[in-house]
Amino acid sequence: MDRKEILKDIREKFKEDIINVFDKSPKRVYIEIKPESIVKLASHIFKDLGARFNTASGMDARNHMEILYHFIFEDLNLLVSLRVKLPKLKLEIDSLVSLFEAANWIEREIHEMLGINFKGHPDLRRLLLSDDWPEGIHPLRCDYKEWDKNVIRDRGV
Amino acid sequence: MIYIFYFLVYGFLLTAVIGLLASWIDRKVTARVQYRVGPPILQPLIDITKLLGKETCIPRGASKTTFLMAPVVGLTSVILVSSLLWVNNINSNNSFLGDLIVVLYLLTIPSISIMIGGFASRNPLASLGASREMKLILSYELPFVLAVLVPVIKSNFSIRLGEILGFQAQNGVIVGNLSGFLALVVALLCMQAKLALVPFDIPEAETEITSGPLIEYSGSGLAIYRLMKNMLLFVLPFFLIILFMGGLRFDGLHLLSGVLKYVGLIALIMVIRNTNPRVRIDQAVRFFWGPMTTIAIIAVIFALLGK
Amino acid sequence: MSLKLKALLKSPWVFHLSTGSCNNCDIEILDCLTPRFDIERFGMILVGSIKHADVLLITGSCNRQSVIILKRLYEQVPKPCLVVAIGECSLSRGMFIHSYNCPVPLDKIIPVDVYIPGCPPKPEAIIAGVVKLIEKIKREKLKSKKR
Repeated sequence: MDRKEILKDIREKFKEDIINVFDKSPKRVYIEIKPESIVKLASHIFKDLGARFNTASGMDARNHMEILYHFIFEDLNLLVSLRVKLPKLKLEIDSLVSLFEAANWIEREIHEMLGINFKGHPDLRRLLLSDDWPEGIHPLRCDYKEWDKNVIRDRGV
Repeated sequence: MIYIFYFLVYGFLLTAVIGLLASWIDRKVTARVQYRVGPPILQPLIDITKLLGKETCIPRGASKTTFLMAPVVGLTSVILVSSLLWVNNINSNNSFLGDLIVVLYLLTIPSISIMIGGFASRNPLASLGASREMKLILSYELPFVLAVLVPVIKSNFSIRLGEILGFQAQNGVIVGNLSGFLALVVALLCMQAKLALVPFDIPEAETEITSGPLIEYSGSGLAIYRLMKNMLLFVLPFFLIILFMGGLRFDGLHLLSGVLKYVGLIALIMVIRNTNPRVRIDQAVRFFWGPMTTIAIIAVIFALLGK
Repeated sequence: MSLKLKALLKSPWVFHLSTGSCNNCDIEILDCLTPRFDIERFGMILVGSIKHADVLLITGSCNRQSVIILKRLYEQVPKPCLVVAIGECSLSRGMFIHSYNCPVPLDKIIPVDVYIPGCPPKPEAIIAGVVKLIEKIKREKLKSKKR
């Protein structure tokens, strides 16, 4: 299937889940979807269309948080990103571990850095932060404040 | 009284000086082959002096006595072998019956002391290096003993070093015959493994990251091990010169030919060292128990036939 | 100068330790050992085990996990030993000075003897820094002798 057929297929099958499709360039497409339908869409792209899951990236915009899931179609040189916007009062989304094991560690990292809860994840403990980091403080949020009293933040000159 | 003189001066001082010089030649030639300048001439001596000035740390849980005694045992056996060989070389009437067997036994002790030092430090990497050293010892001892058998057979089945030297003074060096030449080749490669040089330095500089059995040694223990290895660089070629090439004589023109014999053996060792990659332990065992033993057995059969 | 210190300065054995760097400084250190800037003529060898080392070359900004390991390794080095900090990240954390994972600079954790700036420093700069270290040690010993 080539690029036009893939986009037409996704648009037709999931008409009520897609909010917006941004066709940026021949290699890059951003599809914004509702948070509840991420598992349906990801399973369709991964299993039926044969794409490869690359990674996921999370971001804290001021009023909401976003997660982008990147899928790559190798033969067509196309990167499709699924954008999900989460409101700050309800930071929850379904986990993709049931579909492919590659989502395990990236969801652990997004959870400990941004504080987003992944429902259904088998093992949501911390991955990169050290053991003496206190619980509940997420460093990559916009309103992160320094909690450690013993840090030195000047160059000493 | 004279024995203490032989022990200290010939066994320890002279061997140490020549051994350190040989180690410097080794490093300088390797550096030149790699198109760079090497260290200055006193570098091995400065290394050992510096190591004597650092503190010695003993890992917790290691057996203290074994850890500290292992390098001393190795150094003592090298000094003993060296004094035996010098005494025989100077005056070949000084040998006793069976001193060839004594030298062969004493020459296995330095490798065993490295192995024991590796097992006594409580470290999994050291045990791994020590177990590889053990397998290497098992593999090269067999062709080495078979190669040493050839001069024994040729000099009318005598196991005194003095009689082997006397036989060569009358009938020409043993390496001139076919069996002697084959036996010297086998003994040279076994010596490369005993000195733990490339291509057989599997136990020591194993991954080039951790130094095998010597990983927990620091300060004076490491200094004694390095001194032992540098002295072994003189003692082993000297042993082969006595067996195969008629020993070193110090009168007149024979001094020059003696120096040339020693430098020639060292040059061969360095050429093999600089042109070969390192082999795995199973390849080394297969190499020593396969082709090397076969060539040694052929050399023994030729010696028995009188060639 | 005592024999111990003279021998230490003429054959310093080097150990290379990275506490979370981007690996550029590590590549420049390994460049120093190549035949072009040959440092074996000064007697330096790159050793593998921390128990054989005299000089520690430290790169990288220390993050919280590697501080624990760094302290343990510094206790295992047989004294006397010298510490050299290479690259901007080990001097004062460089551009990571406000990062959440790098709380303190290197010289508040272990005592440092010479600093070599640069991102990454050229091999000539590393050699010049080590020469300055040797001169500094010689001058200190001379001063304490005169007193």
